[in-house]
Amino acid sequence: MRGRPTSEGAGAAATTPAIVHTTVESGRSNPSAAPLPMKVAIIGAGRGGTALLDVLHQIPTIELVGMTDKSPSAPGLKRAQELNVPVYSRIDDLLHDQPLTLLMDVTGDPTMESALRQQTPTGADIISGQAARLFWLLVQHESTLQTELLQAEKMAGFGSFAAGIAHDMNNPLQLILGMAENLAEETDLEAVHAQALDIIDAVKRTTAICRDLTSYSRRTSVRQDGLIQVNSKLDEALKIARYAVALQDIEIRKQYQPDAVVKGNPDKLLHVFVNLITNAVQAMEHHGTLTLETISTADTTQVRVSDTGCGIAPELLTRIFEPFYTTKPPGKGTGLGLYNIKNVIQLMHGTIEVDSHIGQGSTFTLTFPCDPSPNEGTGQS
Amino acid sequence: MSEFKSGFFIGGESTNGRVLVVDDEPDIRKVVRMTLQKAGYDVLEAENGEKAIEVINSGENRLLLDVMICDIRMPKVNGIEAIAYFRENYPRVPLIVLTGFPDTDMATSLLRQGVVDYLVKPVEGDILKAAVGRAMERRELAPL
Repeated sequence: MRGRPTSEGAGAAATTPAIVHTTVESGRSNPSAAPLPMKVAIIGAGRGGTALLDVLHQIPTIELVGMTDKSPSAPGLKRAQELNVPVYSRIDDLLHDQPLTLLMDVTGDPTMESALRQQTPTGADIISGQAARLFWLLVQHESTLQTELLQAEKMAGFGSFAAGIAHDMNNPLQLILGMAENLAEETDLEAVHAQALDIIDAVKRTTAICRDLTSYSRRTSVRQDGLIQVNSKLDEALKIARYAVALQDIEIRKQYQPDAVVKGNPDKLLHVFVNLITNAVQAMEHHGTLTLETISTADTTQVRVSDTGCGIAPELLTRIFEPFYTTKPPGKGTGLGLYNIKNVIQLMHGTIEVDSHIGQGSTFTLTFPCDPSPNEGTGQS
Repeated sequence: MSEFKSGFFIGGESTNGRVLVVDDEPDIRKVVRMTLQKAGYDVLEAENGEKAIEVINSGENRLLLDVMICDIRMPKVNGIEAIAYFRENYPRVPLIVLTGFPDTDMATSLLRQGVVDYLVKPVEGDILKAAVGRAMERRELAPL
């Protein structure tokens, strides 16, 4: 939920509006002072290989030079292609083509290690068997930590909901109390009926608040993945975000393409949208236009969240996705919002990009591959 | 407080005083109106600070408004902005804040600015009436 510069963003480079693009892969293009990248190939593109690919791909000092599996339909091969990692159907070709530092065998095949040892060029290490299993366990552990971090950040964000919740609870409570006090003395039966109906409406409104928030606070589970209707998820996020930020004076424009869908965890995606909307509104200091847009093409679904706020200084754009980076005052931001967003989007095989013009606003564009599998459930929104 | 003690006439009708209720929630305006009217007050409504400023600047309200009850979180001109305007332009009118969100820092700051009471919703009718009664004692007559 954090990372949108406020005062810093508004002050810097005000005369030279910058259009800066950054993506979650941007870290890879900046090897800085690191030594030569480690050239790693992954043998086996099942669940373990795919998870390993996703983690190693995020590390700037590792260059993934190839992935292979005997089954052409192995899930990791498709993911490798999305990440521009070369894919091989034969191990021989991979070993022949690419200079290697390390081979990671996650096939689970006990004969693979000795076969690889005979073919692997000198100087390259092989991780196989129990060592590869240990890596798989570490990767799973990392995934658990990311889920915990997301939940922790979500819970930390609840503090900022207090004002919105109090407003939305106490207004209907005022009506209920006032009407009930009046009913105690009311003798006109028609007035009694009308006021009783007002009380019922007010009670329903307070229960809606509890329902929204308890559903938002629940822990996300990997088993809930499915097709998500993006437009209704954005609308749901707006309802939640209004507890955190005042939307009264924000003009909201929706440019939805009907039936925009993405595949992933609906609770996590809701959290992403709530964070992006909250950031956008905070950047506008309660006056401006928030635009929510969905665009579907044959290959991708895009979601855009734009504001007309202070914008982000170019030198900060590369830092906003770093963990614990925030420009908000102490106690107002965890610095984990955009970091978590980046992780969730990567897990959904998508990318996040930001365009920002100082003094004019920012646009966050999320791009997801369009790959609705027919076996998945639909309409989880 | 004895009701009707300080009553005077507006449009031929006896009233304890004229109160402006500023809140973006129609339900709140409705229920506050109900409570205060039964206590003999003449009640005006405004849905935000901008409207409240319009109301006090129109006709006899300039002279005859006795108390304002104001919410904080409202669209357009919010409660803080409206209160600043009223304190500057109509310092004789006592202000009561009626808010959904208790905030100690804000309450302290508003009381320092001359707000006479800071009430948190939901507030009982008797407490609201007592607050308005106290505010009535603090009001000053408009200069003629």
